Amino acid sequence: MSGETAALAGTPIDEFPPAEIPAALPGRSGVLRRLARDKVAFVASVFLALVVLLAVLAPWISPYDPYFTDLTKVMQTPDGEHWFGTDSTGRDILSRILYGTRTTLLMGLAGVLIGGVLGAVLGLLAAFYRGLDGWIMRLVDIMLAFPAILIGLAVAAIFGAGMVSVVIALVFAAVPTVARVARGAAVGVMSQEFMEAGRVVGVSDFTLLWRYLTLNCISTIFVYLTLRFGQVILIGSTLSFLGMGAQPPTAELGMMASQGRDFLFIAPHIATIPSMAIFVIVLAANLLGDALRDVLDPRLQQ
Amino acid sequence: MGRHILHRLLILLPALVGVLFLCFCLMQVAPADPAVIIAGPDARPEVVAAIRKELGLDRAIPIQFVEYIGRVARGDLGRSIISNKKVSEELINTVGPTFELMVGAMLMGVPIGIALGTLAAVMRGTLTDRFIMACSVAGVSMPVFFIGLILIQYVGFKWALLPFTGREGPIWAGGLPNMILPAITLGAVLIGPIARMTRTAVLEVLGADFVRTARAKGLRESTVVISHALRNALIPVVTLIGLQAAFLLGGAVVTETMFAWPGVGRLAVGAILSSDFPTAQGAIMILALAFLLINLTVDVLYAWLDPRVQRS
Repeated sequence: MSGETAALAGTPIDEFPPAEIPAALPGRSGVLRRLARDKVAFVASVFLALVVLLAVLAPWISPYDPYFTDLTKVMQTPDGEHWFGTDSTGRDILSRILYGTRTTLLMGLAGVLIGGVLGAVLGLLAAFYRGLDGWIMRLVDIMLAFPAILIGLAVAAIFGAGMVSVVIALVFAAVPTVARVARGAAVGVMSQEFMEAGRVVGVSDFTLLWRYLTLNCISTIFVYLTLRFGQVILIGSTLSFLGMGAQPPTAELGMMASQGRDFLFIAPHIATIPSMAIFVIVLAANLLGDALRDVLDPRLQQ
Repeated sequence: MGRHILHRLLILLPALVGVLFLCFCLMQVAPADPAVIIAGPDARPEVVAAIRKELGLDRAIPIQFVEYIGRVARGDLGRSIISNKKVSEELINTVGPTFELMVGAMLMGVPIGIALGTLAAVMRGTLTDRFIMACSVAGVSMPVFFIGLILIQYVGFKWALLPFTGREGPIWAGGLPNMILPAITLGAVLIGPIARMTRTAVLEVLGADFVRTARAKGLRESTVVISHALRNALIPVVTLIGLQAAFLLGGAVVTETMFAWPGVGRLAVGAILSSDFPTAQGAIMILALAFLLINLTVDVLYAWLDPRVQRS
């Protein structure tokens, strides 16, 4: 139980303590069907799909070059020519939002994927080799003691501000929670008969680990990463806002909001529009995550 | 109980060493050689070497690390590269305002969160419930800086109701107006999670036998909800509030930066952006220690509130 408290302690921002994630998933098609019936989840997923599409297509659909400065059209409010207006150096904000979303999403994705893989490896190893369990989980406990913003500050202090520093911070923040979830799921699988059967007939550790254990845990881990994505984006853009992440002139949502802060009283849209973009993306991700958790949590289905 | 605390302390120790090591690394990567800075740009190599020896910079890294720990234990964190003030003094001056801001944020966020959560639980399934829960998700999804930007733009600038930069001294000496906006910004982050947790906890308790008994006794519904249900639902909520305190410290970094609040978070951000390594190292160390301390306190408190925790 103290482990659970520690898990909560490290991720108070996280409303989904790993312990709440069910180890076994119901049939996948059932999950998707039930998810599609939830209107909020449906709208949220369509919206997120649209956001990803826009981010991917940014180079082709942006009305202007996001880095082209036009000093004759500085800080214009939104109009027909520039839908979201222009920033302090006359760059088109809509184009910068499209490119910025791309950067922000990529940053979050890198953090979640690298952190997810490392965390999963740690968690699965801990469940598979009982001798490693204590050591790995103690390491995880220590990592959990530090929240992402602080890790971001420390990494940026050592390696200098930049996107790489933010990704490292996101990875650090993801590893311990993912490791807990992966271990929880793997302990459940380890008690299954086929694991013992496999060992008895002499299947190698590697095959047991990879084909029996990992593949049986992967959907749980994946679901958990989906639940986390909104928060990861939020942390990443906050670090960028503090100046620890993407550096000018790169378009990144948090940094754009931070740059707009200097012109808040003359042209509030420069800061407000990127902040709004972060808000709606994270909101959609969180709503989808909530719905997913509701569908997966057997206690709520009664 | 004793064993539980001991266990937590044992985990704390490597974390502490980790923090110190991280801060030590921070000093190592500083691009400028302290010996060169002291000797001046035109100093001969022999002079620089002598100073290096005097400072102990020629010794092996592990020995330097041990010496570093010794210095930290004595409260010697070096001097700021920018202002040349003692880092320890800067930290002492900034810890107070950060603490003040966090307490303000809690006073702002916790009562609202509990009230909204209880309301949502009592009105379960109604439009009010759905509205409160929607606001709670929105609150969790909102970047701290967005709330701050909106407040600064409207309340601070357009309507000119409250000041939004700096700190005017302690609350009892006219510092209150300056504190309100930062405290709301930071406190708003708390409302969502607390409302949600309170709702769940109250719903759980409302189904309990003793609540039915209280109702059967003919107590008024408000008495049942407030003094029977809410009171018992508060244990998990108290834990959550403690956990949020650790998270609040992260939010404080953003809030302090936005409102020019002279706290540790702003000191850390400013030091990192200006490559003031000694100050950055000190500020990060203090923040990390605060996190560890809050976590430990919550953990012990939790074990004390709920004896079942100790069995692990």
